[in-house]
Parts: sequence; structure tokens; C-alpha cells
Amino acid sequence: MSDLDRQIEQLKRCEPLKESEVKALCLKAIEILVEESNVQRVDAPVTICGDIHGQFYDMKELFKVGGDCPKTNYLFLGDFVDRGFYSVETFLLLLALKVRYPDRITLIRGNHESRQITQVYGFYDECLRKYGSVNVWRYCTDIFDYLSLSALIENKIFSVHGGLSPAISTLDQIRTIDRKQEVPHDGAMCDLLWSDPEDIVDGWGLSPRGAGFLFGGSVVSSFNHSNNIDYICRAHQLVMEGYKWMFNNQIVTVWSAPNYCYRCGNVAAILELDGNLNKQFRVFDAAPQESRGAPVKKPAPDYFL
Amino acid sequence: MEVEIDEKDLKAAGAEAFFDGGRRGVRIHGWLIETRRNSILNSSTIQQWEQKLETSHLPEMVFGENTLVLKHLTSGTKIHFNAFDALSGWKQEALPPVEVPAAAKWKFRCKPSEQVILDYDYTFTTPYCGSGTIEIDKDLNGREVSEETRNLKWEDCKEQIDVAALSSKEPILFYDEVVLYEDELADNGVSLLTVKVRVMPSSWFLLLRFWLRVDGVLIRLRETRMHCVFGGSTNPIILRESCWRESTFQDLSAKGHPFDSAVYNDDPSIISQRLPIIMQKTQKLVIPS
Repeated sequence: MSDLDRQIEQLKRCEPLKESEVKALCLKAIEILVEESNVQRVDAPVTICGDIHGQFYDMKELFKVGGDCPKTNYLFLGDFVDRGFYSVETFLLLLALKVRYPDRITLIRGNHESRQITQVYGFYDECLRKYGSVNVWRYCTDIFDYLSLSALIENKIFSVHGGLSPAISTLDQIRTIDRKQEVPHDGAMCDLLWSDPEDIVDGWGLSPRGAGFLFGGSVVSSFNHSNNIDYICRAHQLVMEGYKWMFNNQIVTVWSAPNYCYRCGNVAAILELDGNLNKQFRVFDAAPQESRGAPVKKPAPDYFL
Repeated sequence: MEVEIDEKDLKAAGAEAFFDGGRRGVRIHGWLIETRRNSILNSSTIQQWEQKLETSHLPEMVFGENTLVLKHLTSGTKIHFNAFDALSGWKQEALPPVEVPAAAKWKFRCKPSEQVILDYDYTFTTPYCGSGTIEIDKDLNGREVSEETRNLKWEDCKEQIDVAALSSKEPILFYDEVVLYEDELADNGVSLLTVKVRVMPSSWFLLLRFWLRVDGVLIRLRETRMHCVFGGSTNPIILRESCWRESTFQDLSAKGHPFDSAVYNDDPSIISQRLPIIMQKTQKLVIPS
């Protein structure tokens, strides 16, 4: 058994790698990722997965439902880390699979694959806690800069973490972005990872936060038409039912973190496309409590004031 | 939140705990105190709520069936907490939106030729301090349906919640915390409305807390505490203290506190000391006989 296969087995048991192993893995991953396009071509059959957010044991449920990699070809739409308890193990397992089977798993970048966001939402603290230093966080966030921004399945299905950008009308415009950087606060790359479809606008909307685009049905129609694609598949937003179509089936949100944050009670979904691009959503629940390894601590009565 | 409660303590206090699926609680001194918890709303219920509330935006996670109910059985006085009423309060208060730091830069971005600017309060800030009614129960008056007769009459008062009494470590007979709603502000912070309760042999005490952090911009904490001492008196008194605190990150940093958002991930109870009070009031409710 090669070192890499051994590491994959170890990660599947939710045991993190040594710091030196992470460093070596990341160096190998960079060689593969640097060659990928900003619009990475993906062949069908493929299974598309949305946000995971460090919910390692729920990702194992995902693999139970969808099949193991490399037998199943996977496309993950980003947000591997933050919020859940096991961002380190989750991301490293996906990355190890990527290095081991580069043509059978595609990882694209979500808005959480960022230095700034991971410092607020958990991944940074988790690395510090599990390794006693932030080196692993540094190696991983350096990898984030190399992750592709989107994928195109059989030239027909455009996949991206967030959504569209007013600065982008063709796929070629995405191809010209210099992606090897921290996610910027504005511009096309930011929009692809951050924007959301919105029912109450038809064209473009600006979030009440003053930053962040919302796009309506006519924006999606015209993008799909001019790029000759059937529909857009994206993640980024929690959906109680695991997936949600909008604008007459022109865009679908896929969410793959069941019982999000361990308390929402939502189901998760993955989208399986066969060789003819026939769709099947597979809906699944969170891993049962007893299979989660670490016992849940009962909180002591809290004498709050 | 499962908490080990000592059966002996319950018995000594004349209390009775119950647990029934999503419902759990305690009966004590004529009060029925219970929590219920469930999943976030599904898409179709979200649509119904949006229609009822006349909005097209709700928090990402609305725990629509989560609730804390405290009912005084003989008077039919019911104090309860739920997401719907809290969101009605949000809709009414309708604060102007808070811009995130990136907004300054976005003003100079190339804009699409036509753009709608949404202007609802995405922080879901609410003045909610609980719901209350007096229900005349069918068992009491013999009618078929229970009838909601009137709203509760809270009056301003000078008394204050007895923090010293609450600091004594008498046994906790019932404890729970439920989330009413939560939103991640699209990864720009957090908006969270929760209510927690503890019931002791001598009193019950609850804390409703709206906690908002808009990263790099604003921290807002709106808390309502209620305390009711069990006593021999037939007319129990509930004290209700509301306290709103708020500060910009800029003001915090000017006072020497860190500007880093991650620091404010911590327990709001600790951070609250750093936030100036902008509103405070105490009211009481005398439960009618």
C-alpha cells in the first residue's frame, strides 16, 4: 500500500495527518490544481455535491449514498471547511482523493476557501487546536488559491459555488481570470463565489449589505442561452429539502450538509448525472449520533444570569 | 440540551418533570413550563410565513416550531416565545440596512445597467420581548374552545430582578435553551435569537437574547430577562428587564478593545460588558387571581 493510500485510509477514519504529511500532500496537489482551467471540464457520469462545512461524518454518509471515489466521479462545489467540527479531516480527505485520483474528483472553490473567512468561521481555530500551530492552515489556504472557480459538465451544465456576475457574460471571460489569489472583496471572481439567485428581482439586485449581487431569472436565461448550456448547478445556500430549482429549472441549488451546524434538521442532497446527463437527486440524512465517534457532551445546567 | 436533573431535588420541590418527544418541561407550583424543538422551516412553510409577514426575506434558519411556554395554570396566564412573533417585531421595527465594510468599495464598482437595491433589515433585529396572553381554559369555564381573552398588562416598575438570589446555586430542576432563528448574514457575521430558561425550587428565570455581529461594523445585544419567585402569595409577580446594548467596531477599538471579528465569536455574556447600554427598562406583571 502506498503512503497516499494509507493516508486516505487514515483520513477515512477521521484521523488527521501529520503536519509534514499535510505539507507534502499540498505540494503534490498544487502540481495538479495549477493545470486546471478556471472552467474545469468534467465528463459525465458525475455526482455533484454542495457545501460540506467540515461535517466529516455526514460526508461519509454522502459517500455511502453516492458510492466511493474513484468508482463514482465527483464534483464538489466548495465550502469544504468552517462551521463543522472536522474541517481539517474533511478537506484533507478530499484533497488526498484529488491527488490519488485526479480525473475522478473535481474540487472547485467556495467562498469559505479563503484566509479571511476561515479565520472567523472555524477552520483557523480548528487547525490551531489540532496541530498547535497554524502551519496546516497556511498550507491549506495556499491550496485554496489554486482551486478552480467553476466546472463545465459535457459543455451543458455550468457549475459554480455562488452564481453569476454582471462582469461575466461568457465562459471565456471566466477563463481569463487570474485566480491564484485570496478571494477578492469585489469583481468577477468574488461574484462567482458569493452571489445568489433571487426571486424578487428579474435582472440584477444589490444586497442590502451594500456588497453582494443577486441575480434574477432573466440574467440566468440570457447567460444559459449565450453559453449554450442547459442549466446552472450551484451551492452556497442552505435548502431544507437538500436541493431547489429556480427560474423554470434554469438553476438548481444543491446543499450537501445534512442537519447543518448539527441543529437545523435539514436533509442533504447530491445530484447524480448519468452518461446521458439524466438527473437523479439523492437525498440523505445526517449520520446517526452513535457513528460520530466522539460522544456528545451533556452540558451542565447553566446558572446564566 | 440534556441535563441530568436529580429526581430527589424535583420531589423535594414538589415538581414533576416530563419528557415527550420534542416536548419537555416541568410542572411546579401551579406553573407548566415547557420547551419544544424541531427542525428549521421547510420551503413551503417559509412561503406561508413570507405571505403572512408580508416580506420576501426570512432568516436562513427559522426554527418555526421551537418555543418556550410558561403557563400559570389557575389564572391562564401564558408567557411564550416564538419566531413568528419575533419576526413580526422585526418587520415593524424595519431598521435601515447596515452596510458591510466591502460596501464602500462596491460603490465604485461598474454597475449593471439596471439594478434593484434591496433595503430590508437583513440583520433581523427585533424589539421582541416575548408573547403573552391570558387563556381561559375550557376545563375551567366548561366551554368547548379555549378563549384568549386579553393581553397581559405589564407596568413600569422600580423593582429589579434579584441577581443575588439568582446567583445562589440552588438546584436546577429544569434547564433548556431553544433557538428561534438564526442567520449567518451571508458570512458577514451572525444574527441569533435564542431563549433559555432555568427553573429552581424557589423561582423560574429566563433570558431571551438577540445577538448580532456584523463583522467589522456593529455588535448589538438585546436581552430580556424574566424572573418569577414562587411564593405563598396567590398573585405571583413576574419582573421583566429589557436591556439593549450596541456598539460599532470602531467605537470598541477606540476604547482599546480588539477590532478582530473572531474575538467576538465568544459568549455574548462576556462581550456585553464592553457594550454601552442604549435602552433599559423594568416592568412587572401581577398575575391576576
